[in-house]
Amino acid sequence: MSSSMFDTILRINLKEETAKEWTVPGNVREYIGGIGYGTKILIDEVDPGIDPLSPENLCIITVGPLTGTSAPMHPQTCIVTKSPLTGTILNCYSGGFLGAEIKFCGIDGVILESAGDQWKLLLIEDRKVTFVPAEPVMGKGTAETEAYMRSNFGEDIRTMSIGRAGEKSVAMAGVFSETRTFGRGGAGAVLGSKKIKGIAFRGTKGVDVADRSLFSQIVSRNMEGIKEACSQEYNLVGMFSRVGTGAGVGLINSKGALATRNHTYGNFDKGSNIDGYAYAKNFYTRRIACYGCPVHCGMIHTFKKQNGTESWLRGPEYETMFSLGSDLCNGDPVILAEANQICEEYGMDTLTTGVTAAWAFEMAGKGLLKEPGLKLEFGDADSILGLLRKIGEREGIGGLLALGPKRAAEALGGDSINTAMQIKNSGFAAWMPRRMKGVALAFATSNRGACHKRAPIGAEIMGHIDMDTTEGKPLVVKGIQDAVNAIFTLITCRFHEFITEHSVYPEYVTAATGREISPDEFIRIGEKIWNLERLFNIKAGFGRKDDILPERCFHPVLGENSENAVMEHQQFEDMLTEYYTVRGWNSEGVPTKETLDGLGLEEYIQYL
Amino acid sequence: MAVGFIFDFENCTECERCMIACSLAKTGKVLLAESRIRISRSWPKLPVISVCRFDSCENQPCIDVCPVSAISNEDGIVRIDKDVCIGCEACVSACPYGAIGMKDDIAFKCDFCGGDPACVKECVTGALKKGDDE
Repeated sequence: MSSSMFDTILRINLKEETAKEWTVPGNVREYIGGIGYGTKILIDEVDPGIDPLSPENLCIITVGPLTGTSAPMHPQTCIVTKSPLTGTILNCYSGGFLGAEIKFCGIDGVILESAGDQWKLLLIEDRKVTFVPAEPVMGKGTAETEAYMRSNFGEDIRTMSIGRAGEKSVAMAGVFSETRTFGRGGAGAVLGSKKIKGIAFRGTKGVDVADRSLFSQIVSRNMEGIKEACSQEYNLVGMFSRVGTGAGVGLINSKGALATRNHTYGNFDKGSNIDGYAYAKNFYTRRIACYGCPVHCGMIHTFKKQNGTESWLRGPEYETMFSLGSDLCNGDPVILAEANQICEEYGMDTLTTGVTAAWAFEMAGKGLLKEPGLKLEFGDADSILGLLRKIGEREGIGGLLALGPKRAAEALGGDSINTAMQIKNSGFAAWMPRRMKGVALAFATSNRGACHKRAPIGAEIMGHIDMDTTEGKPLVVKGIQDAVNAIFTLITCRFHEFITEHSVYPEYVTAATGREISPDEFIRIGEKIWNLERLFNIKAGFGRKDDILPERCFHPVLGENSENAVMEHQQFEDMLTEYYTVRGWNSEGVPTKETLDGLGLEEYIQYL
Repeated sequence: MAVGFIFDFENCTECERCMIACSLAKTGKVLLAESRIRISRSWPKLPVISVCRFDSCENQPCIDVCPVSAISNEDGIVRIDKDVCIGCEACVSACPYGAIGMKDDIAFKCDFCGGDPACVKECVTGALKKGDDE
């Protein structure tokens, strides 16, 4: 029977410049694909104690059973590696067209092993790998690097690349793919440590499914559901389809939950200048989709830069409107677009980079940090744009900030760590733990640090559950962590899950691969992955002491509609203890032997 | 029947669902290399859509240029007879829209799915319509 998976991963040894086809074994295939493959391979092959930038780290690039099929909203690609930003296991994702092209190569992923001696570009055509000197693009931005690959390898390739930040091991360096980003956790620095500047894929294989008729029925039903959601005026995904993810800024601002001025305030008076509606109204806007996606939430805007030159950007996205907007008190849409462009050029995660800059501005205001030629003031264009470049270059104060917010604060000392809005050195996403208590727990317990992808954001902000209470949140957060990890085996876009019944995912797996899987079994795989990640992190030295919130979260949020929301220390500790209990972990956050047995993870007992 | 497409380039989101649908209709799999319609990106400019224009293609040069008369216009639908095609690629060069591809040394192009194109049904923004839709 045919399957949408090829059961083959390319293992590329960068030191020896060799590639071999690896048949994915049954104990990996059990994990479906995407994050499941990456996590299982990493924990089995990488010592959690290694330096993430050493050749011993792996960079595992995976796709899933729905990648490259006609299933809507499954364009993404997953990278799993040990994070140089957090020191934890990392999974991060990019949309676009890369994932489908990887599949068209007749593979389920690529594992980059070891590290090269010279900087290289990789050209992967079906299962053939060519190593090409990267000399001409060294020091270049991500867009320029990808344009170079297209002009040299052909216009029909799909690409991923790093910028100067990745070359220079900036801890929050991302991997870019045609304006989409593997943003969180510093995967760009891992690629840089392996001396890979970019990778191009060109595939000629077709993607089939196990049951064509059933698959096509599920897709049709799914498409109708998405089209219906997009036609509704107040459906969040519908709003995204019209003006992009920035549609949500006004709602969050009205709830006093839009983090502003380094998370001091929950309301930004210039929020309506920089939201999705403002960009759609004031700038030329064209909707752009990822592969096969009917939502098309990516918005290309053209704009005139401060210096008068015409420019364009795909974005900014919602999260960036916070991190390079409200959190820096930047209410100018042009400065925000230019700041976003700098992150894209240097190849940096806008979230951790912006959050680190916000902390630096606050420290500068107290006279604790300074940089010649920059005022380092909130809302000041030169300070914002100048500081982002310093981080990308690791120059001056940028050298300190390029370590990430926690390590920078530890180096600065005093009580500066209290206002570094990070967890495990990963900058906060655009959500306020004080306003949304489920988000607080999700941030604190995330295996990759301050992660919003598995937080009950929609449920709390839309009022389906009370955002201010901690009651019941441990079970809610566990549920969403397991469910999202399960759908990330398919690398489902998070927005798909907002508007689709969860029962569709196991149906899709069966129709695509022929594997019968029940909804319970599907979620259980998500839980297994969550526990494997936790085991990796425990062996890397993490535990309850790291599942914490910065001290600022225990002081009231200021500003309109924020209701002085605050987290109490005891309230947080109680919620965390209860979370460990519902997870079947001990009070230190370590899975018990019984829990591992129950999940079929007996072979990992030595991690305890 | 008017044969051809109406394009609204401004509303094309470049999602490639038309290409996915085309390759599924023609090969049973997602095989974009064999899609009869292709979208080329030119950000921030509008995309280029390569597919046969049928009635809107003034001289239909592919028909005249074919040395073995493998290409014909039947009631507006321009088709390639793959059993007659000798793979010389003259039509590929002659097509002003880059709408003809090659597979195993035989030319292929859009045949309008006989009148009910799969690609059009898949376009969610209405950027791609059948010529006689309006």
